[in-house]
Amino acid sequence: MPVIVTPDASGAAVALSDAFDQRDLYAGRHGAPCVGVFGNCAPEVLIEAAGAIPVQLAMGSRQNAGGQRSPIDEVIEPFVDAEVRRFLRRLFDGAFSPYRAIIFPRDDASALIAYQYATEWVRQGQADKGVPPLFLWNLVHTDSVPVRDFNRRQADRLFGFLKEIGLTPPDSLALAHAGQQQARQSRLLGALQETVGNTMSGGTAMRWRNAGRFMSASEHADLLERAQGVKVRSPASGCRIGLVGSALASTATYEMLESIGPVVCDLQPWGQMWPLDLAGAEEIDAILAALAADPFCPRITPASLHRTALVEALTTARCDIVVCQLAQTDDTFGWEIPSLAAQLERCGTRFINLGFRDPEPDEQWLAESLKAIAASLEGF
Amino acid sequence: MTPTYEPLQSSAIATDYQRQWAKGLRAQITSGARYAFVNADTPHELFHHIGLPIVTNQWWSAIISAKQLSEFYFDHMVELGFHDRLARYSSLPLIAELEGNVDRQPWGGLPRPAILCARQSADDHQKIFGLWAEKTGAPLVLLSSPGVPNPHPRWWELAREDWETLYGSDRLDLMVAEFEMLIDRLEAVTGAGFDRQSFSQYMEAINAQEQIFEQASDLIANAPRCPIRISEQIPNVMIPQWHRGSGWAIEHATRFRDELEERVISGQAVVENEKIRMMWIGAGLWFDTSFYSAFEDSHGAVFAWSMYLPFAADGYIRKDHGDPLRALAARVSAMNEQLHQPPWINAWMVEQARKYRIDVALMLIPEHDRFSGHGSLFAKKALEEAGIRVIEVWSDMVDRRRWDREAMVGRISPVLDAVLAEKN
Repeated sequence: MPVIVTPDASGAAVALSDAFDQRDLYAGRHGAPCVGVFGNCAPEVLIEAAGAIPVQLAMGSRQNAGGQRSPIDEVIEPFVDAEVRRFLRRLFDGAFSPYRAIIFPRDDASALIAYQYATEWVRQGQADKGVPPLFLWNLVHTDSVPVRDFNRRQADRLFGFLKEIGLTPPDSLALAHAGQQQARQSRLLGALQETVGNTMSGGTAMRWRNAGRFMSASEHADLLERAQGVKVRSPASGCRIGLVGSALASTATYEMLESIGPVVCDLQPWGQMWPLDLAGAEEIDAILAALAADPFCPRITPASLHRTALVEALTTARCDIVVCQLAQTDDTFGWEIPSLAAQLERCGTRFINLGFRDPEPDEQWLAESLKAIAASLEGF
Repeated sequence: MTPTYEPLQSSAIATDYQRQWAKGLRAQITSGARYAFVNADTPHELFHHIGLPIVTNQWWSAIISAKQLSEFYFDHMVELGFHDRLARYSSLPLIAELEGNVDRQPWGGLPRPAILCARQSADDHQKIFGLWAEKTGAPLVLLSSPGVPNPHPRWWELAREDWETLYGSDRLDLMVAEFEMLIDRLEAVTGAGFDRQSFSQYMEAINAQEQIFEQASDLIANAPRCPIRISEQIPNVMIPQWHRGSGWAIEHATRFRDELEERVISGQAVVENEKIRMMWIGAGLWFDTSFYSAFEDSHGAVFAWSMYLPFAADGYIRKDHGDPLRALAARVSAMNEQLHQPPWINAWMVEQARKYRIDVALMLIPEHDRFSGHGSLFAKKALEEAGIRVIEVWSDMVDRRRWDREAMVGRISPVLDAVLAEKN
């Protein structure tokens, strides 16, 4: 529970919490043009530079998260990620019709499937409610001359698309401004994460961080700045927790974890790998190079960079234990687990894999996980 | 089984050739010759042309599975700390490598490859090959795989000539540039130069081979009764495909087509009284290929279609337009995706089902090999709308633990009964 120190900070904290709770429903309140993005590795900075608010839809409102069936269910296999299913149901129920467009980064595994299924359903004439234009963002995550050329062509394609949907393709000033705002947002989130374990809980940091996925970077940075005076009761101390695995936005899971110790290093996809720090990258080639070098993209090449970045961040954060948890449909992170566990153990960091869980884990999973973590900390 | 059915002579020739080739390769590589370990959807042509032998991940996986070793390795996979929902087909060789007991493996295991190569078509390919590289110390080349933003449903109509439009110039430019970097690596590994002059002829030879396979496919599709089982189709196509463009491969493709033609002319058939034609959608059921003849006696039902033969034409023939490396990029840049992503897979399945006069489709859906499983229900819907009955087979191409043949026969038989009742 936050301990409020000033009315201004109070308002900022409330706004951040509201944004996280309401998610994409929060985004449209100002009437500014919104462009949906699905998943990580999206070009938010380029969308903002074009004058729109990028709104994350993979972690969208939990509307129709459950059992309400939709015609598109007919073609969604049971192993399709839960966030894709939820998104497709909402998309074809008209939930995103006010959006100018939706952009899907190819290097987010869920996003490629969401794009393919959505475009195919539209192509088949099955979409009878407003579906905004859909765009596949094809940035390749490595560094070579041909890749730089390819990525630049993708940016030009994106700018052409942004023009088609009524936005202004960004000039150098707009790009520089957007880059600066994202760098400011990233800096403030870094500072926020530093306070976890002292005046902040990892769960609140996760909520405040992801609030920024439903507003502009500058608004998010402003709110974070104003909320700096807010102190949150520190969770149980003594054990510093790192978190890895599948994307997790479950407050209850953070509460379970932080009954043991603070989540000081949050490296699941909804964790501190977003937004990318663009400090110093203000022109298009530098921005693209920074996006392509994001080591937390699971498709980064060379393939070893991803795990190396995880280990480095977890050890720098002096984690005592790293907790891994997986979506029911994981087929990628699982390949990292034995090597990640071994590398961490060589650094003296314990590792526990809690296995599969639902997007909002039930009480039983939470209780069993708590017990498992406690057992693995024996002798700590 | 139909008593009169006899295997093709071509089948024995193909498997003998592959056995001898494997023996020779094994002798070469165990005595220190360099070789490459590569994924199926990489440009094998570059390796072949420069003279570096390859072992293909999926072929090796099928070999391990056919030796009934998959159960052991998948249990071991969990012991290593990998969870049991990870892909099987593309990872079985990795698990065998990590397990480390070479005496258990076919050929006594594989020595360290000189180079590893995969395409980033599925997200787990780079993870699996990354672990291979860590374990063996072999250098890994990963080829990018950007998505196709606006896939043309009837891709096979553009793929042979107008592939520039189909796959996009930006993607092809990138793939050609990455091929050039791979060629540099291969030249360094082999110490040989890449002969660009003769590469064009080599690519033409592959096109010629695939055209022969297209004729073979047409023969089966148009024959009044299916002349061969798909358990024979597959080796007669895939073995030459692993050696595509070679003199032997073209000779064998010709032999296979001619033998098929003789059968069609003479009226020889898998089932004398053929009543139902079926298609097997997905990779082969490598550990139980005899399943493909399970309904011949009981229902006069024959599996006439598997993807490997028709895909040899639609997936491989690419006119080079004076630029064979770019034509190769066109072949490779969406090779796997065409078999697994909507709208490509659904449109092609319907086209093929109509061409082969299919009544019932069995669709293998490997839930823990999602790259191969995605798009399955789009394909199912399209086939059903085209009047084809579809039976979902939730299993895996190499993991026999998820296969209950008796139960599957029990599910399929009533559907075939219904088809027969309709036809009578």
